[in-house]
Amino acid sequence: MKQFQKQFDDLLAYWPDENQELRELRSTAFDQFKNLGIPTKQLEDWQFTDFSSLKKIDYRLSRAKDLPQLPDDITEQIPNTYLLFMINGHYQPDLSDIPESISVTTNLENFKANKELYLDHKSSNPFSALNASMMNSGASVTIDSNVILEKPIQIIYAMMDISDPLMNHPRFVFQIGHNSQATIVEHYIGSTDLPYFINPVSNVTIKNNSVLNHFRIEAEDPLASHIAASNYLLGADAQLNSVSISSGSKLFRHNINLNFNDKGGNASLNGLSTIREDQHHDQNIIIDHSHNNCQSQQLFKYILSEKSSGVFNGKVVVQEGTKQTEADQTNKNLLLSPEAIMNTNPQLEIYSEDVKCSHGSTTGQIDAEALFYLQSRGISKTKAIELIINGFAKEIIEQINNEDVKTYINNRVTNWLESVLIDV
Amino acid sequence: MLIIKNIHASVDGKEILKGIDLSVNPGELHAIMGRNGSGKSTLANIITGRDNFIVTKGSITYNGINLLDMATEDRALAGIFMSFQYPVAIPGVNNAYFLRAALNAKLKHHGKSEVNAADFMRLMREKVKSVNLDESYLSRAVNDGFSGGEKKRNEILQMLTLEPELSILDETDSGLDIDALKTIAEGINNFRNKNRSFLTITHYQRLLQYMHPDYIHVLIDGKIVKSGDIELANQLEKKGYSWLES
Repeated sequence: MKQFQKQFDDLLAYWPDENQELRELRSTAFDQFKNLGIPTKQLEDWQFTDFSSLKKIDYRLSRAKDLPQLPDDITEQIPNTYLLFMINGHYQPDLSDIPESISVTTNLENFKANKELYLDHKSSNPFSALNASMMNSGASVTIDSNVILEKPIQIIYAMMDISDPLMNHPRFVFQIGHNSQATIVEHYIGSTDLPYFINPVSNVTIKNNSVLNHFRIEAEDPLASHIAASNYLLGADAQLNSVSISSGSKLFRHNINLNFNDKGGNASLNGLSTIREDQHHDQNIIIDHSHNNCQSQQLFKYILSEKSSGVFNGKVVVQEGTKQTEADQTNKNLLLSPEAIMNTNPQLEIYSEDVKCSHGSTTGQIDAEALFYLQSRGISKTKAIELIINGFAKEIIEQINNEDVKTYINNRVTNWLESVLIDV
Repeated sequence: MLIIKNIHASVDGKEILKGIDLSVNPGELHAIMGRNGSGKSTLANIITGRDNFIVTKGSITYNGINLLDMATEDRALAGIFMSFQYPVAIPGVNNAYFLRAALNAKLKHHGKSEVNAADFMRLMREKVKSVNLDESYLSRAVNDGFSGGEKKRNEILQMLTLEPELSILDETDSGLDIDALKTIAEGINNFRNKNRSFLTITHYQRLLQYMHPDYIHVLIDGKIVKSGDIELANQLEKKGYSWLES
């Protein structure tokens, strides 16, 4: 905890003229973080993940001096997208491409106007409180009402060539007005020899009758720790299509909280985690149905190779008196190695009678019958395994309704698979 | 072509095949008949090389090569095909993609150039018609959500596409109505020629009526107890299997 205290004090000293209210929020948030502490295995919601590595490294907040030499071109940009590019926590307007119709502001500016979007300082999630106390990067992206955005906005948050173990607490606020449609790709990448810690929080509001496609790609460096929270609030008849693809970082935890703020909302949450070696990926999803006629679907898949381990905790709560709720929750896991471990815990908490809910989870190895079938057609064992795993992943990738993003992610998954299959 | 000598095989430590001898020559159609549990499918599975079927004694050669030393995919590339009794569903794996991969593996094995996606689709549009499947089948996942009849047609379609020398048809007639049965029999008959051989496994003579087998073998308790021509199948239809049991 000492190193976090030092970083917090340094941050306040570094920005002495910051907005007073924001400083107060930071202090309250840091007190909350200190109260909660880094989660231990005694806490139910955190029990399958070891966060102690975060205490063992003296992470320091990124500063202006940590801006590396900028890349000539950004290889990870997906074709036909608008781009927001951030490197080591620093926004690079010259490398970004955002049209005037999209409002991008700093969190400080947005905080003054929309304080209600920054209330994580009292979060029961210690990492969200930590983010609120030290948020030092990110952006607020606002799509006005009645706007149909043709191209996705890709946000690349890169960590490159760092000279010390750094930490950053990016805060993203996405606000989609009424009757609008947008696609946002939140993309984390890393390339460095040192460990680093990224702790983003994304607060997403989708107003009435709007559609947001939110694609998230976690492709951090293998030494990284990536602890994230995505919080969604859906208005009347609002629609969320979210796909989270995670393959990077040694430690990954993603808390997804989804609330319906009115009737008729529809949320589809999907995830694919492809991990190997000693990677550990933990996803914790809570969907709270407290308004009528809302639907939610969750489909999370893990492909685990070597000694990797995964955790899926999904909870759907249907509050008392809520009518016409439909909720489906599915978790499927493919173990490619006898040493890989998966912990899965799909839960339904239903306090209403007028519901249609289902949940299920399967964990298994490659289907020997399917493998034999493909081999009996002359397909080599390696190719057959590749076909089966690609087929397993496809169900998630198919949820991506933008062709450029889908192609990009499909290539990533295929490349990952090829690299893993060399060792099978 | 296929020479099986004194084959003994077991599954989970239990001996299922207890000394089978069988020779299949080019162009011949052999039918293996027998009750459930007599070892028919075990025979099919050891020819194709399924892991959990263990050969404890005897030999199988295919065109003079020891088949039992070969991996399943290499047996397929050498020209052996099995139409499965229960074809497995493989979610997410596109039928056309899978079948092109299989065809290209074979072409490559024979030193030929691979077929591109466009030419392959042209070929497949004709082939699907011959087994009475809808073209949309090509873009679906392998056997996923297929009816029993569609699965069996899919097996025959794969046979027609991969053009094996030796086709093992494991209970291809089970679960088919009479129209589907005729379509499949017709597909197989059109495919027959002097170089292609068949080993048909069945417990009814229904399919055989349409296929004119050269030999019928009756398998009881892991042994061939009687061989004959189509007349034997007719007798079995009338009298059952009990008269052959010792």
